[in-house]
Amino acid sequence: MRARRFGTLIGLVALGAVLAALSPYFLTVSNLLNVAQQTSINAIVAVGMTFVILSAGIDLSVGSIVALSGVVLGTLLQAGQALPLAIAGSVAAGIACGLFNGALVSWGGLPPFIVTLGMMSVARGAALVFTEGRPISGFSDSFRVLATGSIGVAPAPVIVMVAVYLVAHIVLTRTTFGRYVYAIGGNEEATRLSGVAVRVHKMAIYGVSGLMSAIAAIILTARLNSAQPIAGMMYELDAIAATVIGGTSLMGGEGSLGGTLVGALIMGVLRNGLNLLGVSSFLQQIVIGAVIVGAVLVDTLLKRHRG
Amino acid sequence: MTSPPAVLEMRGIRKSFPGVVALDGVDLTLYPGEVHVLLGENGAGKSTLMKILSGAYRKDAGEIRFHDRPVEINTPRDALALGIRVIYQELNLVPHLSVAENIFLGEAPTSLPGVIDWRSLYARASKLLGDLGLAIEPRTPLDRLSLAHRQMVEIAKALKPSATGRDEAAVLVMDEPTSALTSREVDQLFALIGRLLSRGVAIVYITHRLDEVYRIGQRVTVLRDGRHIATTMLADVDVGELVRLMANRDIREHFPRQRVAPGAELLRVEGLGRAGVLRDINLSLRAGEIVGIAGLLGAGRSELARVLAGADRADTGRMLIDGKAVSFRSPAGAIRSRIGLLPEDRKADGLVAGLTVARNIALPHARQLARLGFLSSRSEVALAEPIVKDLRVKATATQAVRLLSGGNQQKVVLGKWLAGDARIFIFDEPTRGVDVGTKVEIYNLMNRLTAAGAGIIMISSELPELLGMSDRVLVMHRGAIKAEFDADAASQERVLSAALGLD
Repeated sequence: MRARRFGTLIGLVALGAVLAALSPYFLTVSNLLNVAQQTSINAIVAVGMTFVILSAGIDLSVGSIVALSGVVLGTLLQAGQALPLAIAGSVAAGIACGLFNGALVSWGGLPPFIVTLGMMSVARGAALVFTEGRPISGFSDSFRVLATGSIGVAPAPVIVMVAVYLVAHIVLTRTTFGRYVYAIGGNEEATRLSGVAVRVHKMAIYGVSGLMSAIAAIILTARLNSAQPIAGMMYELDAIAATVIGGTSLMGGEGSLGGTLVGALIMGVLRNGLNLLGVSSFLQQIVIGAVIVGAVLVDTLLKRHRG
Repeated sequence: MTSPPAVLEMRGIRKSFPGVVALDGVDLTLYPGEVHVLLGENGAGKSTLMKILSGAYRKDAGEIRFHDRPVEINTPRDALALGIRVIYQELNLVPHLSVAENIFLGEAPTSLPGVIDWRSLYARASKLLGDLGLAIEPRTPLDRLSLAHRQMVEIAKALKPSATGRDEAAVLVMDEPTSALTSREVDQLFALIGRLLSRGVAIVYITHRLDEVYRIGQRVTVLRDGRHIATTMLADVDVGELVRLMANRDIREHFPRQRVAPGAELLRVEGLGRAGVLRDINLSLRAGEIVGIAGLLGAGRSELARVLAGADRADTGRMLIDGKAVSFRSPAGAIRSRIGLLPEDRKADGLVAGLTVARNIALPHARQLARLGFLSSRSEVALAEPIVKDLRVKATATQAVRLLSGGNQQKVVLGKWLAGDARIFIFDEPTRGVDVGTKVEIYNLMNRLTAAGAGIIMISSELPELLGMSDRVLVMHRGAIKAEFDADAASQERVLSAALGLD
């Protein structure tokens, strides 16, 4: 597992080296911070996705939950509510959607794919109904600082991302909850027979994913200075890609957040580099798609090789 | 009676898997127009022999002759080309398609390439069913048919003239065809078998129902422990003789059971039932006791184990632990009542293969090890390491379980419950797929546990082991407890007779 993570890391470094050779601007501090900032939202959503995929599930609703949490936040701020309250409301909306997903998966016994596909549509629809399809724009500077502020050279979104990864990594590796995530993904029935309350923990796992979507929504809303019901389109695919490039098995039970962060950075660096090189956005999609499949292919071949 | 020339002869068939010899010099000769019954306990080698015949396995040694010509059956295709057809216990049919579509699945007649010629499909199905004397409408969706009729469709499918190879099935293998049928349906099936015999088909009939054997069979071959024990005309043997041939008398392995005087009653089960699987189960387990549960596959033994361990819920009856009534809503409840389950299938139910030895052993105890939800790897290793050493698991606590051998994996599952305070152990096939050395270690561990006041319910398909280690033996048959023996009074013949449903 360690070798796999290093493999992805080597890929990231190699990609950086190629881009540094092709574009003198790539390796500047301001550009690298720019990449980190642009990556932060996908990287945070991918934390939740990693929890879900490690448990052998999938969450297609993250992008829609970003939109719904965002418009809840925007509406509360616009109505003149205090910032902490607005953030709490947004986070509560995200967690509630996630727990609802988890409850249907656990107690309803439905496939995660179907449940979250449904939530993808329901949450998106709710965001649109809630705002009548119009974006909510114009927020105070005290809120926007979450995207525009910085400590030293580190932009606020990057600080949030690093904090989220640290906490989530500790949860995943040093708590019973984290252990159960791996155990459920590795063998759900054996875990249940070991006396673990599998249903409760599965529900919590989807709740974590909802929470991560809400945190991403807060940063996104602050950055755009606007809460949009159509925000977060296709975020689920970017998050799944980052998780899978990072070496987490779609079968569950194997993977790490370090890998996911590297996976998200690979996607961010690639987009940034292709922009710097003036590659058209149409062509970029082809390159990114090829990289996703290529990364997993290399991973699979290496695994087969090692037996 | 002089026999016509044999259709098929298997001679000196040998097949081994890593660690076990499944078949050792087995002979089987099939004559046209005859039902040849294949008898043997679970694991005697019947299925392996049939898998060699059908090309699913390749034999290691031995010879197969078809109409007195030597043939090689290396793939299922080879077997089909010779006209060898197998009907497995689980039917391979598609419920939503029609009878005719099922019969010709993948080989439907076409008018244009890829376009099914429905008229011809139904006509051919109709003719086939008619020839077999089956009153089944080929357009009926399969899921509207009774189980017996579905089975007949499966037989028709097996007997249909194949597009490649021979026109007629020469050998038909039926694996426990009556296990789910009512007695009227059995009559229908037997009538069909009679018609097949008159067409000169040779039938291999595998069953556990000895009463049927005499109704349908002419000849019988008995296997035991992968060896050919006897082949004889059924007219020349009685039921008792058959049971004696099947039972394993010669090998008196040494079992190191050290009996202790039973103490207080740990577990009592009264009238326990679960729809379709368990009926009116009563049992009692005392401290220091090993209670063995015998029975054939599907008799409900593992189902009972799962209910006792809280994995499945009972519909009726009650359980008492230390005299107090308990009701488990989940395995967690059973674990709190100090019950530990060693499941039958350790890969599917016992282990998380990707996790380390220590994390598997610590999994049921993670909450107790954790402080405020934080769980350190060090505490898991500290819990597991003495157990790894004690059970002599050939691995370190930080190795992934996936990399371990079967015996070592089984020790890890045992370790999960030794790490806690379990007192009632349910061992479902504890020595399946483990090497001989590990078997003895497991027996010794069982002695240690009972000496320390634990009680063990042991399910095993290996009768010598069951009789050698148990203090009492319960025999299950079709979801109910059919008989109970003290260890001294139990013999393989008596246990096997009860397991077969004979009185």
